[in-house]
Formats: sequence, structure tokens, C-alpha cells
Amino acid sequence: MSDREKFLEQKISYLEPEETELEGRGKELEINAPVTGAVTIPEAVVAGFGDGTVRFFRSEETPKIIDAHDGVVLCIATNGSEVFTGGDDGRFLQISPDGIITEIANFGTRWVDTVAATKDNMVCSSGKNAYLWSSGNTKEKILEHTSTIGGMAFDRSGKRLAVASYGGVTLWEQGNRRWKSSRLVWKGSHSKVSFSPDGKYIVTTMQESELHGWRIRDKVDLAMRGYPAKIKSFAWVGDIPHLATAGDHQAICWPFDGKDGPLGREPVCVADCGKKISTFIEPLTGEKAIFVGFNDGTVLLSEVDDRKNPFVVRNPKGYEISAISLSSDRSYILIGDLGGNILWSPLWAN
Amino acid sequence: MNNTSEQVPVTVLTGFLGAGKTTLLNRILTEQHGKRYAVIVNEFGEQGIDNDLVVDADEEVFEMNNGCICCTVRGDLIRILGGLMKRADKLDAIIVETTGLADPAPVAQTFFVDQDVSDKTKLDAIVTVADAVHLSNQLGEHHEAEEQIAFADIVLLNKIDLVDENSIDKVKARIKKINPYAKIVKTNRCDIPLNEVLGLNAFSLDRVLEVEPDFLDSDHDHEHDDDVTSMSFVSETPLDMDKFQTWFGNLLQTHGQDILRSKGILSFEGKDDRYVFQGVHMLMDASPMGTWPEGKERNSRVVFIGRNLENMGLDDGFEGCKLN
Repeated sequence: MSDREKFLEQKISYLEPEETELEGRGKELEINAPVTGAVTIPEAVVAGFGDGTVRFFRSEETPKIIDAHDGVVLCIATNGSEVFTGGDDGRFLQISPDGIITEIANFGTRWVDTVAATKDNMVCSSGKNAYLWSSGNTKEKILEHTSTIGGMAFDRSGKRLAVASYGGVTLWEQGNRRWKSSRLVWKGSHSKVSFSPDGKYIVTTMQESELHGWRIRDKVDLAMRGYPAKIKSFAWVGDIPHLATAGDHQAICWPFDGKDGPLGREPVCVADCGKKISTFIEPLTGEKAIFVGFNDGTVLLSEVDDRKNPFVVRNPKGYEISAISLSSDRSYILIGDLGGNILWSPLWAN
Repeated sequence: MNNTSEQVPVTVLTGFLGAGKTTLLNRILTEQHGKRYAVIVNEFGEQGIDNDLVVDADEEVFEMNNGCICCTVRGDLIRILGGLMKRADKLDAIIVETTGLADPAPVAQTFFVDQDVSDKTKLDAIVTVADAVHLSNQLGEHHEAEEQIAFADIVLLNKIDLVDENSIDKVKARIKKINPYAKIVKTNRCDIPLNEVLGLNAFSLDRVLEVEPDFLDSDHDHEHDDDVTSMSFVSETPLDMDKFQTWFGNLLQTHGQDILRSKGILSFEGKDDRYVFQGVHMLMDASPMGTWPEGKERNSRVVFIGRNLENMGLDDGFEGCKLN
């Protein structure tokens, strides 16, 4: 252990017993099921759980509980106004801000593993197929892939859909009459996928402890490696974005400005937490800063600037952080872990 | 960091189509045992299982880009085990059924390679259901049948009422030749108490300590090259740790594809602890397991199950690790 690591270890453990500001003014809830994900809609922060429930968190109100799935809420997404979930009960659901459930599809014993949505499209995956509903069409379109889908994401225009699976990403583009596919190839199994905000890059997390990216224009590969653990979360931060990534003892932030993105450049490393492994990254909207959740339940807030010190937002509770979400007006934050602990707190002091 | 709960044991159930896997699965799901079991079945598997806790899977074998040529894992298993671990209600065990033509190695390797899988679940045992009537033919015709026997911790020799004593003895001898360390249980309709197939903890390093090398079947000359066999070595002389690590590392690098399973207890010069390892192909789990018991003789015991074992120079290699 380096002196720096020793120091940080001490510093973090010294801070442990003290209640953080957010813990002091927030509400702590113990739900008897792991938090599997959370999204933000204008009215609420909506979290999914391992007992099949979806809970709506709104400022001071008691969270509203919706019994959505008969099993685990495996995935959750939003189109900006409504919530979409997939479960191990094989159902793909649309949930309105009022909590009204519409079942869009039911795949029986096959799980719905991933979901994504835009204003005009909603898509879920079950096994190797993606099922895409576009506004104006009642019948879904089936997008076939050669292996099970690990993750899906639309770009900001909603006209391109990236589907990650074994061996790379299938990029679907909406033409005048149909969706056309092209393939971005890289050996290995890909799961989470995301477009850069400017739509120029696609990045995936892999079964190996690394990220892979492509510059879409010329399919130039970007390998982002050197992680001690699998990368479970990443997020784009700032206008000229950094891709902030989990899977290390800190957050690793790759620069995506300039002509070549992170090609041949060093990442910025922030929010060092000693031996712990980061598992969740959420940007502080409007700032060049991120919340970084760790495998022991610690959450740090840090600027994407390695000269600045992070501060502790939540103390460890022994369970891996699996969700962090800010309300749409940035007034509240939800932090959830795999032990079913929720912290719902006003972000700012009055 | 994982203080959420104990690891959930996962039993792998292999065997050819028609051997009786479904009979066993149905018993596991329907018997009154007060336990919650999830069963992961293959979509091309046998029909007739229906239950809340049955999950359909495609057997998807992924190659890992970790520089290890035979390192394959079951991608679907990583995904499904991850999902099952998020359930609010805790499972007592998980059973993974593989298709008759599946190689058990990727399933086992998944538990060595994926951190989340190995944090939250543990490989309990590989249970192979074999059809007493057809096993001999299947072993001659399909590599997979041999592999399923080679990997097995327990073999249920099923449908014994359809064969005579003499044939049973022959097929048992055949199994022993491939894998002398598997426990063989004769059954009809898989009528075995469930606690003899579930919760065996066969992959824990503790259990390796119980392995007794097989001395009876040390004549390996006449095997066909492709046959799966086993070899074992014992040494009363302490081993040199550096020499052993170099030899064993090289061995797995060059012959890992042919070595299906390996395990051993090692007595190193200058070390008070017993060192225990067990591996699947190139992947290995190893740890010191406490000091040698008082009054018991210290010796090193190593066993291999695999193909072409005679051509790996195992004898000389192991000999060379002994302290001069």
C-alpha cells in the first residue's frame, strides 16, 4: 500500500462514524429487496427493486409503491416522461407518472433483460431479439441478433439504436422505411452501451474488465483498459464530455473532447477510495462533477479534476451501490444499494 | 466486499438426453423439502418442467480475451445468476441443467473467472446422470459423454433395472477408468436422497483434502490417445515450491486444454501449511489450508483427469519438483 493509499484509507475510516450532511437531512429507508436501478422523470425519481416493486420518490411525500413485476425488476428506463421496466417474469411494462401499468409484451419464462426508450420508440430485449415499438406502428419490429443482448441505447436523436452483444455492437439506423443495421466488431462479450452526447462515439462495457469504444464515422477502435474489476457503470459528464467510469478504486474519466477522443491520452482519476471498487457513477447535472458509489456503500462527490478532493456523501453500509439518481430539478438525490437501503435526501442545505 | 449473505451453492447437472435429468429436476422442484431451488434449464432440453423458479437459458459459450486459449465461460449463466441474486427472497440452491452435448468446462470455468458470480455463488458439484443401458456406446461415440464423466463429482448410474449385474459392473469399470474419484450411485428414476446430490461442496478446497489418489489403475499404456484417463502421483519427499510453481504453471499453459480437472495437496519444504489446489483446464483455485495435522505423515498428492496425459511428461515433471 502506498503512503497515499494509507492516508486515504485512514481518512475514509476516520470519516465513517460521522453522519454526512445528506444523511443528516435525508430519509433512510430499508426495503427488503436490492435496488436494481433508478431513473428520473419530471415528477419523481423512480427506482426498481428485486421484489418486483417500483417506487416513486417525490420530495417530502412517502414513496408510492407500485407492484409491477412478479419477480425482479431487471431493467428500468425512461423516455423522459414515462417509465419502462423489464422483469424476470418475462413482462415488458410501461408505467405512467401516476403509476398506471400497461403491459406492452409478455415473453413468459424468458426474461426481459434490457429496455430503452425515446419519445417515439420503446424497445426491450429478451434473449437474442430486440422488440421495437415505434410511434404510429401498433406492431412491433423484431431486431434479430446472433447472441443474447447485453445492453441497448438510443442516441439523442432517437434515430439510432446501439445493441451490444457477444462480439460487438449492432448499430440500427432508422431509414425512411425501415431500420438498417451495421456492425461494430470487437472480440468479447459487450453489455452496457452508450452513445457520446455528440453522437460520434459508441462505448461498451465488457465481460473482461475493460471498456471498448468506436468512433462511428470510421469505426476506429478505442480500448480503455487497466481496470481491476468489471465496469458496472459509466456516465458522460460535462459539455465537452468526459466518460466517467466505475470498476476501479476511484472513478476513471476518459476525455472525449478533440478530434480523437481518448486515443493516446491519459484519463483523469478522481474520488480515490482506497481499496474499495467503484460500482456506480452519476453526474451532478449541470456541473463537471460526479457522484461515485462504491462496493461497500460509500458515495463520494468529486469534481472531474484530480487536483480537487472528494467529499463523503454517504457512509458505507456494507452493500454495493446500485443506483444514484437526482430529481429533475436537482433538489433531491436517491442513493440505493444491493442491501435494499435507500437514502432520499435534499441535495442542498436550505 | 460482500457481507450480504452466504454464497448460494450451484449444482451443475449434466448427462445425455434421455438419461433421466428431467426426472431428477422434477423431484428437486416438487418434493417437500422446504427449500427454495431455482433451476436453469436449456431451451433445447427435455420438456415437462414447469415451475416459477425455472429459468430458460440459451447455452452461450463466450471466449475470454485473457490470454488463456481454452478459457471459455457461459455468458448466459453470468447474466442469469446475476439476476437471481437480485431476488428479494433468498434461494437455498441453484441447479444448472446442461444439454446432453455440452462440455461442462465452460460452466465450471464461469465460477473461476467472473467476480460477481464467484462472490455471490459457489460451484457445489457436477452431477452426471448416466443411462446404464446406453452409456458404454455413448462413451465410444461422443467426446462430450466422456467429458461429463470426467468432470463429475458424482455419477448417477440410472435405469439399472434394465441391465444385469454383469453389465453394471462393466459400465462402472468404464466410469472408474475415466474418473476414479467420482462417486458412483446406482439408481432407478434417479431415486437418490436429494441431500446426496445437492450441497456436496465438492469444489471447496477443504474437500480436496479428502482425495485419495488411485493406485490401482496406474497402467496407462494401452489407452487410445483420445481417451480420457486419470493419473496420480504421491511423494513422501517434500516439494520445492519454486520448482513446482514453474512446472505446474508451464504444464497448464501448454497442456491445459487436455487437462480437464486437477487437484492436489502439497507439502513444501520449509512450509508448515498444507497447500491445496484444484483446477479446471487452465484455471486454478489454490490456497494454504492450515498446518499439517500432528502425528500424520506429510505427503504430496496430485491427481489429473484428462486426455493424452501420458505425453505430458507428468512423471518426470513431478519427480523434478522434489527436493534434491
